[in-house]
Amino acid sequence: MKQIFLTILAVLALGTSLFAAVGCDLNDPDKDVKRLFPGSTGYKTEYVSISQKGGDSLLVKIEQRLGDKFQGLFETGDVPYTMYRVFRKKELLGYIHGVNQKGQYGGIQVFLVLDTAGVIKTLYFQKLTSKAASNLRRPSFGKQFAGLTLQDFYKYDVVSGKENGADRITAIKNPSAEAASDFMAALRAVKKNLILVDEFLLGNRYLKYYRPN
Amino acid sequence: MKISTRSRYGLRLMIQLAGSNGKRLVPLREIAETQQISGKYLSRLVIQLRRNRLIRAGRGTNGGYTLTSKHVLIAFLILGGLTATSYGSSRLFYLEAQAVASYANSAGENEIFWYSMMPGDPMQKPSIGFDLLQRFSGEGGDWGILAIQARVSYDTSRRYDLEPQLYNAYFKLKTGPGDFWLGHNKPSFGFSSYLDNHGTLLQPLSMYGFGYDRDWGAGYYRDFESGNLALSATTGSGMPLYLRGNYMLSGRVSKGDLNQQNYNLGLSASSGKNLEAMGYHLMPMDPTPTAMIGTDAILLSNRWENRLEFIWSRKTWNYPQNQYVSDYVIFHRLTANLLDENRLKLEVQNRWMLGEWGNGMLTLAGSYQITADLALRSMVEIDDENTRVIAQLYWYHKI
Repeated sequence: MKQIFLTILAVLALGTSLFAAVGCDLNDPDKDVKRLFPGSTGYKTEYVSISQKGGDSLLVKIEQRLGDKFQGLFETGDVPYTMYRVFRKKELLGYIHGVNQKGQYGGIQVFLVLDTAGVIKTLYFQKLTSKAASNLRRPSFGKQFAGLTLQDFYKYDVVSGKENGADRITAIKNPSAEAASDFMAALRAVKKNLILVDEFLLGNRYLKYYRPN
Repeated sequence: MKISTRSRYGLRLMIQLAGSNGKRLVPLREIAETQQISGKYLSRLVIQLRRNRLIRAGRGTNGGYTLTSKHVLIAFLILGGLTATSYGSSRLFYLEAQAVASYANSAGENEIFWYSMMPGDPMQKPSIGFDLLQRFSGEGGDWGILAIQARVSYDTSRRYDLEPQLYNAYFKLKTGPGDFWLGHNKPSFGFSSYLDNHGTLLQPLSMYGFGYDRDWGAGYYRDFESGNLALSATTGSGMPLYLRGNYMLSGRVSKGDLNQQNYNLGLSASSGKNLEAMGYHLMPMDPTPTAMIGTDAILLSNRWENRLEFIWSRKTWNYPQNQYVSDYVIFHRLTANLLDENRLKLEVQNRWMLGEWGNGMLTLAGSYQITADLALRSMVEIDDENTRVIAQLYWYHKI
């Protein structure tokens, strides 16, 4: 019997190159949704993954739109992205979606609060243990993102940190110089987040603005 | 579900071998023709399957391959059957498998065991299982959650038998004033009530006789602006369900949002008539009047996590007549999150028990996330009499 269990484990281990499953949920969605969408009465949770929707070919397209490769535990095709549709009674108010992103001390979790057109209302750091980066949690930092869309973030290169165009992203001020790596990680996370929301919730309405380099 | 090409071809190969019913060896050429897989690719695949002892080879003119055990395939197909029904955007479904072994030095004797704690304890043994979370929604949003978490474990305390184990098995109803749950869930007491310790070697105080990891009953949960309230009324029987005049009422109130403020402080109380159970095995005793008060704290800072808990517990044993036994326990766990994406966790856990059954236990633990699905964990546990070394390979895969 012992051998059967160990053998099953060995078989399962054959598939471990699948690299899956580090999701990003709101830890207290009841409280967080009310706080992020004042006046909301409920929310609906949906799980989607790149592998489920389009597999490797979709992953490649998303990487192209991001301008960087997906890597590590947080960015596999099997990651279950948790999408929250927020309602006032039956009226759709907007969306909340979070992503895991490699930060200075492990992972940070960056949630975007979006209206129904995919325009950022604010952003919310759920996991951020760096003391130096605690200023990123301030409302004044989140307000700098209000009104931005994926159309703006397409001009921002997440690898170099440079922007080609209106400088709306590079105008965002880092409130803590000691937290430069978490700040850069947050900008990458926001762009990744917007692309995933566009792909999974908005029917790729921002794809027309994408210009490959 | 995304299965790697290697795993898919391996499964197809094994299904074909099963079809031969073990009566003959199937040549590689025949498998390649039937499955439309290149011979070169197959020859690499069979090396891996042989290495894992899933198939064996026979030489000679009638040489080929056959399965080592039909049971392996049966188990694998059951898993496959489970996964086939798991699609859906309102559902999360994970498969779980683990191998556990421990080496103990007690009174000068060395022994190897196939479990992480005591043989009767439910936590970690070689097992396979699943973890299901199903959400229910209407036009105005989510209104309910069903959670089921179950395993079949290899239990050496039951004459090498298989033991079915149920962990989460509850339905949670979301309402305006808060969430209500009914079923088998964590009672609302202490640090254990909100810690996800399902697959971990390192365990909180609920696994050392201070409350229960899971219990049958109902509960209520409500968030506040900074903190939350949790209440539960459960049977006080732990993993198994028994009704012999036993019950347990528990509550925990907390301050601080761990996710926003990186700290949480809790105050808990519990009272009832509890049954003494070790895992799924009930002790032959009447319900024992039990009261507990506890306080706990978590603080996160940079790469460090600090967890501290204090519990006072009083039990009234019927024999000897109405004897009170008070215990005090102090618990501390320090965690260092290291490497990219916190792949490596190093932990030190101290537990000091004062009072009638006073003792101490020091635990050193390490966990390395090999891939998103696979973790290698180890632990050294040192108490007054024993030293144990435990290793675990834990697989948890989203379908």
